[in-house]
Amino acid sequence: MLSRLVFVSASALKSSGPLGAGLVQASRSLHTSSQSLAPVPPLPEKGGKVRHGIIPEELFQLLYPKTGVTGPYMLGTGLLVYLLSKEIYVINHETLVVASIGAIAVYGIKKFGPSVAAFADKLNEEKVAKAQEVKDLAMSSLTQAIEDEKKEQWRVEGRSVLFDAKRNNVAMLLETNYRERIHMVTNEVKRRLDYQIALQHLHRRMEQEHMVSWVEKNVVGSITPQQEKESIAKCITDLKALAKATQAKAAV
Amino acid sequence: MTLSLFNQFASPVLLGIPLIALAILLPWTLLPSPANRWLTNRLLSLQGSFIGGFTKQLVLPLNPGGHKWALLFTSLMVYLITINLLGLLPYTFTPTTQLSLNMGLAIPLWLATVIIGMRNQPTHSLAHFLPEGTPTLLIPVLVIIETISLFIRPLALGVRLTANLTAGHLLIHLIAMATNVLFPLMPSVAILTGTLLLLLTLLEIAVAMIQAYVFVLLLSLYLQENV
Repeated sequence: MLSRLVFVSASALKSSGPLGAGLVQASRSLHTSSQSLAPVPPLPEKGGKVRHGIIPEELFQLLYPKTGVTGPYMLGTGLLVYLLSKEIYVINHETLVVASIGAIAVYGIKKFGPSVAAFADKLNEEKVAKAQEVKDLAMSSLTQAIEDEKKEQWRVEGRSVLFDAKRNNVAMLLETNYRERIHMVTNEVKRRLDYQIALQHLHRRMEQEHMVSWVEKNVVGSITPQQEKESIAKCITDLKALAKATQAKAAV
Repeated sequence: MTLSLFNQFASPVLLGIPLIALAILLPWTLLPSPANRWLTNRLLSLQGSFIGGFTKQLVLPLNPGGHKWALLFTSLMVYLITINLLGLLPYTFTPTTQLSLNMGLAIPLWLATVIIGMRNQPTHSLAHFLPEGTPTLLIPVLVIIETISLFIRPLALGVRLTANLTAGHLLIHLIAMATNVLFPLMPSVAILTGTLLLLLTLLEIAVAMIQAYVFVLLLSLYLQENV
Protein backbone atom coordinates (compact mmCIF):
# COMPACT_ATOMS: atom_id res chain seq x y z
CA MET A 1 0.00 0.00 0.00
CA LEU A 2 2.67 2.43 0.96
CA SER A 3 4.74 1.08 -1.90
CA ARG A 4 2.01 2.38 -4.17
CA LEU A 5 2.52 5.80 -2.59
CA VAL A 6 6.21 5.50 -3.42
CA PHE A 7 5.49 4.43 -7.01
CA VAL A 8 3.08 7.25 -7.70
CA SER A 9 5.28 9.91 -6.20
CA ALA A 10 8.33 8.47 -7.92
CA SER A 11 6.65 8.56 -11.33
CA ALA A 12 5.49 12.11 -10.64
CA LEU A 13 9.02 13.05 -9.67
CA LYS A 14 10.56 11.37 -12.73
CA SER A 15 8.44 13.38 -15.11
CA SER A 16 9.24 16.74 -13.51
CA GLY A 17 12.04 18.72 -15.16
CA PRO A 18 15.81 18.42 -14.77
CA LEU A 19 15.65 16.86 -11.33
CA GLY A 20 13.51 14.10 -12.77
CA ALA A 21 15.90 13.43 -15.66
CA GLY A 22 18.89 13.28 -13.32
CA LEU A 23 16.99 10.94 -11.03
CA VAL A 24 16.21 8.55 -13.88
CA GLN A 25 19.87 8.37 -14.94
CA ALA A 26 21.18 8.01 -11.42
CA SER A 27 18.82 5.20 -10.49
CA ARG A 28 19.27 3.25 -13.76
CA SER A 29 20.93 0.34 -11.99
CA LEU A 30 17.75 -0.23 -10.01
CA HIS A 31 15.42 -0.35 -13.03
CA THR A 32 13.73 -3.72 -13.41
CA SER A 33 11.41 -3.18 -16.40
CA SER A 34 12.06 -1.63 -19.81
CA GLN A 35 11.23 2.03 -20.14
CA SER A 36 8.75 1.92 -23.00
CA LEU A 37 5.04 2.09 -22.30
CA ALA A 38 3.75 0.34 -25.40
CA PRO A 39 2.82 -2.38 -26.05
CA VAL A 40 1.46 -2.71 -22.53
CA PRO A 41 2.49 -6.10 -21.12
CA PRO A 42 -0.50 -8.38 -20.61
CA LEU A 43 -1.96 -8.84 -17.15
CA PRO A 44 -1.62 -12.30 -15.62
CA GLU A 45 -4.84 -14.32 -15.84
CA LYS A 46 -5.08 -15.03 -12.13
CA GLY A 47 -3.62 -13.35 -9.08
CA GLY A 48 -0.73 -14.77 -7.11
CA LYS A 49 -1.36 -18.18 -5.59
CA VAL A 50 -2.15 -18.07 -1.87
CA ARG A 51 -2.69 -20.74 0.73
CA HIS A 52 -5.43 -20.34 3.33
CA GLY A 53 -6.43 -17.09 1.71
CA ILE A 54 -3.57 -14.92 2.96
CA ILE A 55 -0.18 -16.63 2.95
CA PRO A 56 1.55 -16.53 -0.44
CA GLU A 57 2.59 -19.84 -1.96
CA GLU A 58 6.11 -18.46 -2.40
CA LEU A 59 6.77 -18.78 1.34
CA PHE A 60 6.03 -22.49 1.23
CA GLN A 61 8.23 -22.93 -1.83
CA LEU A 62 11.00 -20.98 -0.08
CA LEU A 63 10.98 -23.19 3.00
CA TYR A 64 10.37 -26.50 1.24
CA PRO A 65 13.99 -27.47 0.53
CA LYS A 66 15.08 -27.04 4.12
CA THR A 67 12.03 -27.95 6.18
CA GLY A 68 9.75 -29.96 3.90
CA VAL A 69 5.98 -29.68 3.78
CA THR A 70 5.32 -28.93 7.46
CA GLY A 71 7.98 -26.26 7.73
CA PRO A 72 5.85 -23.10 7.36
CA TYR A 73 3.16 -24.53 9.64
CA MET A 74 5.73 -25.21 12.34
CA LEU A 75 7.06 -21.72 11.86
CA GLY A 76 3.59 -20.24 12.22
CA THR A 77 2.71 -22.27 15.28
CA GLY A 78 6.01 -21.52 16.97
CA LEU A 79 5.67 -17.82 16.26
CA LEU A 80 2.14 -17.75 17.63
CA VAL A 81 3.08 -19.64 20.78
CA TYR A 82 6.08 -17.38 21.33
CA LEU A 83 3.98 -14.25 20.99
CA LEU A 84 1.31 -15.58 23.34
CA SER A 85 3.57 -17.00 26.00
CA LYS A 86 5.77 -13.95 26.23
CA GLU A 87 2.66 -11.80 26.25
CA ILE A 88 3.99 -9.80 23.34
CA TYR A 89 0.47 -10.23 21.98
CA VAL A 90 -1.91 -9.79 24.92
CA ILE A 91 -5.26 -11.52 24.82
CA ASN A 92 -7.91 -9.01 25.76
CA HIS A 93 -11.31 -7.96 24.51
CA GLU A 94 -9.79 -6.90 21.20
CA THR A 95 -8.96 -10.53 20.49
CA LEU A 96 -12.64 -11.30 20.61
CA VAL A 97 -13.26 -8.41 18.23
CA VAL A 98 -10.62 -9.90 15.89
CA ALA A 99 -12.29 -13.27 16.16
CA SER A 100 -15.76 -11.94 15.38
CA ILE A 101 -14.67 -9.74 12.49
CA GLY A 102 -12.44 -12.52 11.16
CA ALA A 103 -15.31 -14.98 11.27
CA ILE A 104 -17.61 -12.59 9.45
CA ALA A 105 -14.94 -11.78 6.87
CA VAL A 106 -14.15 -15.44 6.18
CA TYR A 107 -17.83 -16.33 5.95
CA GLY A 108 -18.54 -13.39 3.64
CA ILE A 109 -15.63 -14.13 1.33
CA LYS A 110 -16.43 -17.83 1.14
CA LYS A 111 -20.09 -17.20 0.42
CA PHE A 112 -20.01 -14.15 -1.84
CA GLY A 113 -16.50 -14.38 -3.25
CA PRO A 114 -17.23 -16.45 -6.36
CA SER A 115 -20.32 -14.47 -7.32
CA VAL A 116 -18.54 -11.13 -6.95
CA ALA A 117 -15.61 -12.45 -8.99
CA ALA A 118 -18.04 -13.66 -11.65
CA PHE A 119 -19.68 -10.24 -11.69
CA ALA A 120 -16.32 -8.52 -12.14
CA ASP A 121 -15.42 -10.94 -14.94
CA LYS A 122 -18.79 -10.34 -16.53
CA LEU A 123 -18.10 -6.58 -16.60
CA ASN A 124 -14.92 -7.18 -18.56
CA GLU A 125 -16.58 -9.72 -20.81
CA GLU A 126 -19.37 -7.31 -21.62
CA LYS A 127 -16.81 -4.71 -22.66
CA VAL A 128 -15.09 -7.24 -24.91
CA ALA A 129 -18.40 -8.49 -26.26
CA LYS A 130 -19.47 -4.98 -27.22
CA ALA A 131 -16.27 -4.34 -29.10
CA GLN A 132 -16.43 -7.80 -30.66
CA GLU A 133 -19.98 -7.11 -31.78
CA VAL A 134 -18.90 -3.91 -33.49
CA LYS A 135 -16.07 -5.77 -35.17
CA ASP A 136 -18.34 -8.63 -36.26
CA LEU A 137 -20.92 -6.23 -37.59
CA ALA A 138 -18.28 -4.39 -39.57
CA MET A 139 -16.91 -7.66 -40.95
CA SER A 140 -20.32 -8.99 -41.92
CA SER A 141 -21.29 -5.71 -43.57
CA LEU A 142 -18.01 -5.70 -45.47
CA THR A 143 -18.45 -9.31 -46.69
CA GLN A 144 -21.99 -8.42 -47.69
CA ALA A 145 -20.62 -5.44 -49.61
CA ILE A 146 -18.11 -7.72 -51.35
CA GLU A 147 -20.84 -10.12 -52.39
CA ASP A 148 -23.02 -7.29 -53.62
CA GLU A 149 -20.13 -5.96 -55.66
CA LYS A 150 -19.52 -9.39 -57.20
CA LYS A 151 -23.18 -9.64 -58.08
CA GLU A 152 -23.07 -6.24 -59.69
CA GLN A 153 -20.06 -7.30 -61.75
CA TRP A 154 -21.92 -10.41 -62.93
CA ARG A 155 -24.85 -8.23 -63.81
CA VAL A 156 -22.64 -5.99 -65.87
CA GLU A 157 -21.59 -9.01 -67.95
CA GLY A 158 -25.19 -9.67 -68.81
CA ARG A 159 -25.67 -6.14 -69.89
CA SER A 160 -24.85 -6.77 -73.58
CA VAL A 161 -27.46 -9.54 -73.71
CA LEU A 162 -29.93 -7.11 -72.25
CA PHE A 163 -29.07 -4.51 -74.82
CA ASP A 164 -29.45 -7.03 -77.67
CA ALA A 165 -32.83 -8.03 -76.40
CA LYS A 166 -33.84 -4.42 -76.13
CA ARG A 167 -32.56 -3.74 -79.61
CA ASN A 168 -34.57 -6.68 -80.95
CA ASN A 169 -37.63 -5.40 -79.19
CA VAL A 170 -37.25 -2.00 -80.69
CA ALA A 171 -36.66 -3.43 -84.15
CA MET A 172 -39.77 -5.57 -83.84
CA LEU A 173 -41.79 -2.60 -82.77
CA LEU A 174 -40.54 -0.59 -85.68
CA GLU A 175 -41.25 -3.45 -88.09
CA THR A 176 -44.77 -3.90 -86.76
CA ASN A 177 -45.41 -0.22 -87.00
CA TYR A 178 -44.12 -0.13 -90.56
CA ARG A 179 -46.30 -3.05 -91.58
CA GLU A 180 -49.35 -1.51 -90.04
CA ARG A 181 -48.81 1.69 -91.86
CA ILE A 182 -48.27 -0.13 -95.18
CA HIS A 183 -51.55 -1.93 -94.67
CA MET A 184 -53.29 1.26 -93.90
CA VAL A 185 -51.91 2.88 -97.01
CA THR A 186 -52.93 -0.11 -99.15
CA ASN A 187 -56.41 -0.05 -97.75
CA GLU A 188 -56.84 3.57 -98.34
CA VAL A 189 -55.61 3.36 -101.91
CA LYS A 190 -57.89 0.40 -102.56
CA ARG A 191 -60.82 2.30 -101.20
CA ARG A 192 -60.15 5.22 -103.42
CA LEU A 193 -59.81 2.99 -106.47
CA ASP A 194 -62.98 1.09 -105.60
CA TYR A 195 -64.73 4.32 -105.36
CA GLN A 196 -63.63 5.28 -108.82
CA ILE A 197 -64.69 1.89 -110.20
CA ALA A 198 -68.08 2.14 -108.58
CA LEU A 199 -68.43 5.59 -109.98
CA GLN A 200 -67.67 4.38 -113.48
CA HIS A 201 -70.09 1.45 -113.18
CA LEU A 202 -72.71 3.83 -112.08
CA HIS A 203 -72.03 6.08 -115.00
CA ARG A 204 -72.22 3.23 -117.48
CA ARG A 205 -75.40 1.82 -116.01
CA MET A 206 -77.01 5.16 -115.98
CA GLU A 207 -75.99 5.70 -119.56
CA GLN A 208 -77.35 2.29 -120.53
CA GLU A 209 -80.64 2.80 -118.83
CA HIS A 210 -80.97 6.22 -120.21
CA MET A 211 -80.24 4.90 -123.72
CA VAL A 212 -82.70 2.01 -123.38
CA SER A 213 -85.43 4.23 -122.13
CA TRP A 214 -84.76 6.70 -124.92
CA VAL A 215 -84.90 3.92 -127.53
CA GLU A 216 -88.11 2.59 -126.04
CA LYS A 217 -89.60 6.00 -125.92
CA ASN A 218 -88.68 6.59 -129.49
CA VAL A 219 -89.95 3.23 -130.66
CA VAL A 220 -93.16 3.58 -128.77
CA GLY A 221 -93.52 7.04 -130.12
CA SER A 222 -92.83 5.98 -133.63
CA ILE A 223 -95.64 3.52 -133.72
CA THR A 224 -98.39 5.35 -135.81
CA PRO A 225 -102.04 4.46 -135.21
CA GLN A 226 -102.16 2.93 -138.78
CA GLN A 227 -99.36 0.61 -137.98
CA GLU A 228 -101.03 -0.22 -134.74
CA LYS A 229 -104.26 -1.24 -136.36
CA GLU A 230 -102.42 -3.26 -138.98
CA SER A 231 -100.42 -5.06 -136.41
CA ILE A 232 -103.50 -5.79 -134.30
CA ALA A 233 -105.43 -7.11 -137.37
CA LYS A 234 -102.44 -9.23 -138.26
CA CYS A 235 -102.28 -10.56 -134.75
CA ILE A 236 -105.97 -11.46 -134.86
CA THR A 237 -105.67 -13.34 -138.20
CA ASP A 238 -102.54 -15.07 -136.88
CA LEU A 239 -104.41 -16.07 -133.79
CA LYS A 240 -107.35 -17.35 -135.78
CA ALA A 241 -105.10 -19.42 -138.00
CA LEU A 242 -103.29 -20.73 -134.97
CA ALA A 243 -106.59 -21.62 -133.36
CA LYS A 244 -107.65 -23.48 -136.36
CA ALA A 245 -104.44 -25.37 -136.51
CA THR A 246 -104.68 -26.25 -132.86
CA GLN A 247 -108.26 -27.42 -133.20
CA ALA A 248 -107.26 -29.56 -136.15
CA LYS A 249 -104.40 -31.00 -134.12
CA ALA A 250 -106.69 -31.74 -131.22
CA ALA A 251 -109.24 -33.48 -133.48
CA VAL A 252 -106.61 -35.62 -134.92
CA MET B 1 -11.81 0.59 32.89
CA THR B 2 -13.75 3.68 31.89
CA LEU B 3 -10.55 5.43 30.89
CA SER B 4 -9.43 2.54 28.71
CA LEU B 5 -12.83 2.42 27.04
CA PHE B 6 -12.53 5.96 25.75
CA ASN B 7 -8.82 5.73 25.07
CA GLN B 8 -9.57 4.32 21.62
CA PHE B 9 -11.01 7.68 20.60
CA ALA B 10 -7.99 9.74 21.64
CA SER B 11 -6.23 11.16 18.60
CA PRO B 12 -3.07 9.05 18.35
CA VAL B 13 0.21 10.87 18.71
CA LEU B 14 3.62 9.18 18.40
CA LEU B 15 6.56 11.09 19.77
CA GLY B 16 4.66 14.30 19.25
CA ILE B 17 3.72 13.52 15.65
CA PRO B 18 -0.03 13.41 15.12
CA LEU B 19 -0.76 10.11 13.45
CA ILE B 20 -4.25 11.18 12.44
CA ALA B 21 -2.75 12.48 9.21
CA LEU B 22 -1.68 8.92 8.34
CA ALA B 23 -5.08 7.60 9.31
CA ILE B 24 -6.77 10.14 7.05
CA LEU B 25 -4.45 9.39 4.13
CA LEU B 26 -4.83 5.61 4.42
CA PRO B 27 -7.90 5.19 2.12
CA TRP B 28 -6.06 6.83 -0.77
CA THR B 29 -3.33 4.18 -0.68
CA LEU B 30 -5.79 1.32 -0.47
CA LEU B 31 -7.93 2.17 -3.49
CA PRO B 32 -6.42 1.32 -6.90
CA SER B 33 -6.14 4.12 -9.41
CA PRO B 34 -7.37 3.44 -12.95
CA ALA B 35 -4.66 1.86 -15.12
CA ASN B 36 -3.93 2.75 -18.73
CA ARG B 37 -5.45 -0.53 -19.90
CA TRP B 38 -8.71 -1.34 -21.53
CA LEU B 39 -9.42 -4.54 -19.58
CA THR B 40 -8.40 -4.29 -15.92
CA ASN B 41 -8.23 -6.67 -13.02
CA ARG B 42 -11.29 -7.58 -10.95
CA LEU B 43 -10.73 -5.05 -8.18
CA LEU B 44 -10.43 -2.14 -10.55
CA SER B 45 -13.47 -3.17 -12.63
CA LEU B 46 -15.54 -3.56 -9.46
CA GLN B 47 -14.40 -0.20 -8.17
CA GLY B 48 -15.15 1.40 -11.51
CA SER B 49 -18.62 -0.10 -11.72
CA PHE B 50 -19.42 0.86 -8.12
CA ILE B 51 -18.26 4.44 -8.54
CA GLY B 52 -20.03 4.79 -11.86
CA GLY B 53 -23.29 3.36 -10.56
CA PHE B 54 -23.19 5.40 -7.39
CA THR B 55 -22.46 8.67 -9.16
CA LYS B 56 -25.20 8.12 -11.70
CA GLN B 57 -27.73 7.34 -9.01
CA LEU B 58 -26.70 10.28 -6.83
CA VAL B 59 -26.56 12.91 -9.57
CA LEU B 60 -29.80 11.83 -11.29
CA PRO B 61 -32.17 14.12 -9.32
CA LEU B 62 -29.81 17.10 -9.51
CA ASN B 63 -30.19 19.63 -12.29
CA PRO B 64 -27.11 20.46 -14.39
CA GLY B 65 -25.86 23.13 -11.98
CA GLY B 66 -25.43 20.46 -9.34
CA HIS B 67 -23.47 18.12 -11.59
CA LYS B 68 -20.30 20.02 -10.69
CA TRP B 69 -20.57 18.48 -7.24
CA ALA B 70 -20.55 14.89 -8.53
CA LEU B 71 -16.82 14.38 -8.02
CA LEU B 72 -16.94 15.85 -4.53
CA PHE B 73 -19.86 13.68 -3.46
CA THR B 74 -18.51 10.45 -4.87
CA SER B 75 -15.05 10.91 -3.46
CA LEU B 76 -16.53 11.89 -0.07
CA MET B 77 -18.68 8.78 -0.10
CA VAL B 78 -15.81 6.44 -0.98
CA TYR B 79 -13.62 8.12 1.62
CA LEU B 80 -16.16 7.84 4.41
CA ILE B 81 -17.04 4.23 3.61
CA THR B 82 -13.40 3.19 3.58
CA ILE B 83 -12.60 4.99 6.82
CA ASN B 84 -15.66 3.64 8.60
CA LEU B 85 -15.10 0.05 7.50
CA LEU B 86 -11.41 0.14 8.33
CA GLY B 87 -12.26 1.40 11.78
CA LEU B 88 -14.02 -1.85 12.57
CA LEU B 89 -10.72 -3.69 12.55
CA PRO B 90 -9.15 -4.07 15.99
CA TYR B 91 -6.53 -1.63 17.22
CA THR B 92 -7.40 0.88 14.48
CA PHE B 93 -8.24 4.50 14.90
CA THR B 94 -11.30 5.84 13.08
CA PRO B 95 -10.94 9.52 12.18
CA THR B 96 -14.69 9.89 11.76
CA THR B 97 -15.22 9.33 15.47
CA GLN B 98 -13.70 12.77 16.00
CA LEU B 99 -16.36 15.48 16.03
CA SER B 100 -13.78 17.92 14.68
CA LEU B 101 -13.37 15.97 11.45
CA ASN B 102 -17.08 15.49 10.85
CA MET B 103 -17.94 19.10 11.59
CA GLY B 104 -15.02 20.08 9.37
CA LEU B 105 -16.68 18.13 6.57
CA ALA B 106 -20.28 19.06 7.26
CA ILE B 107 -20.18 22.82 7.97
CA PRO B 108 -18.28 24.01 4.87
CA LEU B 109 -20.28 21.80 2.51
CA TRP B 110 -23.62 22.78 4.02
CA LEU B 111 -22.64 26.45 4.06
CA ALA B 112 -21.61 26.17 0.41
CA THR B 113 -25.06 24.91 -0.57
CA VAL B 114 -26.77 27.69 1.40
CA ILE B 115 -24.56 30.40 -0.09
CA ILE B 116 -25.07 29.06 -3.61
CA GLY B 117 -28.81 29.11 -3.04
CA MET B 118 -28.84 32.61 -1.59
CA ARG B 119 -26.66 34.04 -4.35
CA ASN B 120 -28.24 32.47 -7.42
CA GLN B 121 -31.90 32.33 -6.48
CA PRO B 122 -32.45 34.28 -3.23
CA THR B 123 -36.23 34.35 -3.43
CA HIS B 124 -36.48 30.62 -3.98
CA SER B 125 -34.07 29.94 -1.12
CA LEU B 126 -35.93 32.20 1.28
CA ALA B 127 -39.18 30.57 0.20
CA HIS B 128 -38.00 27.35 1.83
CA PHE B 129 -38.59 28.97 5.19
CA LEU B 130 -42.34 28.81 4.74
CA PRO B 131 -43.88 25.49 3.67
CA GLU B 132 -46.96 25.64 1.50
CA GLY B 133 -50.39 25.69 3.00
CA THR B 134 -49.65 26.95 6.47
CA PRO B 135 -52.42 28.79 8.30
CA THR B 136 -51.77 32.55 8.48
CA LEU B 137 -51.53 32.68 12.26
CA LEU B 138 -48.74 30.13 12.35
CA ILE B 139 -46.48 31.93 9.83
CA PRO B 140 -44.14 33.75 12.27
CA VAL B 141 -43.69 30.69 14.44
CA LEU B 142 -43.05 28.50 11.41
CA VAL B 143 -40.46 30.87 9.97
CA ILE B 144 -38.56 30.76 13.24
CA ILE B 145 -38.81 26.99 13.35
CA GLU B 146 -37.62 26.62 9.76
CA THR B 147 -34.66 28.94 10.44
CA ILE B 148 -33.67 26.88 13.43
CA SER B 149 -33.99 23.71 11.38
CA LEU B 150 -31.80 25.21 8.68
CA PHE B 151 -29.03 26.08 11.10
CA ILE B 152 -29.21 22.78 12.88
CA ARG B 153 -28.49 20.89 9.65
CA PRO B 154 -24.68 20.98 9.78
CA LEU B 155 -24.73 20.14 13.48
CA ALA B 156 -27.00 17.20 12.76
CA LEU B 157 -24.83 15.99 9.88
CA GLY B 158 -21.65 16.05 11.89
CA VAL B 159 -23.03 14.77 15.14
CA ARG B 160 -24.99 11.99 13.44
CA LEU B 161 -21.88 10.51 11.91
CA THR B 162 -19.80 10.95 15.05
CA ALA B 163 -22.42 9.59 17.41
CA ASN B 164 -23.24 6.54 15.30
CA LEU B 165 -19.66 5.48 14.89
CA THR B 166 -18.60 6.27 18.42
CA ALA B 167 -21.56 4.46 19.87
CA GLY B 168 -20.93 1.47 17.68
CA HIS B 169 -17.28 1.23 18.64
CA LEU B 170 -18.08 1.67 22.29
CA LEU B 171 -20.72 -1.04 22.18
CA ILE B 172 -18.37 -3.45 20.48
CA HIS B 173 -15.73 -2.82 23.10
CA LEU B 174 -18.16 -3.12 25.98
CA ILE B 175 -19.65 -6.38 24.81
CA ALA B 176 -16.23 -7.79 24.00
CA MET B 177 -15.07 -6.88 27.46
CA ALA B 178 -18.16 -8.47 28.96
CA THR B 179 -17.55 -11.69 27.06
CA ASN B 180 -13.95 -11.64 28.16
CA VAL B 181 -14.84 -11.23 31.81
CA LEU B 182 -17.68 -13.76 31.74
CA PHE B 183 -15.74 -16.48 29.98
CA PRO B 184 -13.97 -17.98 33.05
CA LEU B 185 -17.06 -17.46 35.22
CA MET B 186 -20.09 -18.54 33.15
CA PRO B 187 -19.04 -19.86 29.76
CA SER B 188 -22.60 -20.36 28.45
CA VAL B 189 -23.52 -16.73 29.08
CA ALA B 190 -20.19 -15.79 27.53
CA ILE B 191 -21.15 -17.71 24.42
CA LEU B 192 -24.45 -15.86 24.28
CA THR B 193 -22.63 -12.57 24.63
CA GLY B 194 -20.24 -13.74 21.95
CA THR B 195 -23.14 -14.30 19.60
CA LEU B 196 -24.36 -10.82 20.47
CA LEU B 197 -20.94 -9.52 19.57
CA LEU B 198 -21.11 -11.24 16.16
CA LEU B 199 -24.50 -9.74 15.41
CA LEU B 200 -23.37 -6.36 16.61
CA THR B 201 -20.35 -6.51 14.34
CA LEU B 202 -22.63 -7.23 11.41
CA LEU B 203 -24.76 -4.27 12.40
CA GLU B 204 -21.73 -2.07 12.69
CA ILE B 205 -20.59 -2.96 9.20
CA ALA B 206 -24.01 -1.99 7.91
CA VAL B 207 -24.07 1.18 9.99
CA ALA B 208 -20.64 2.20 8.74
CA MET B 209 -21.78 2.02 5.12
CA ILE B 210 -25.21 3.49 5.74
CA GLN B 211 -23.93 6.47 7.73
CA ALA B 212 -21.49 7.40 4.99
CA TYR B 213 -24.25 7.12 2.41
CA VAL B 214 -26.67 9.17 4.51
CA PHE B 215 -24.11 11.93 4.98
CA VAL B 216 -23.58 12.27 1.26
CA LEU B 217 -27.24 11.83 0.43
CA LEU B 218 -28.33 14.60 2.77
CA LEU B 219 -25.72 16.93 1.32
CA SER B 220 -26.99 16.17 -2.17
CA LEU B 221 -30.54 16.88 -0.99
CA TYR B 222 -29.49 20.22 0.42
CA LEU B 223 -27.81 20.96 -2.88
CA GLN B 224 -30.93 19.94 -4.78
CA GLU B 225 -32.95 22.49 -2.85
CA ASN B 226 -30.56 25.28 -3.53
CA VAL B 227 -28.88 24.89 -6.88
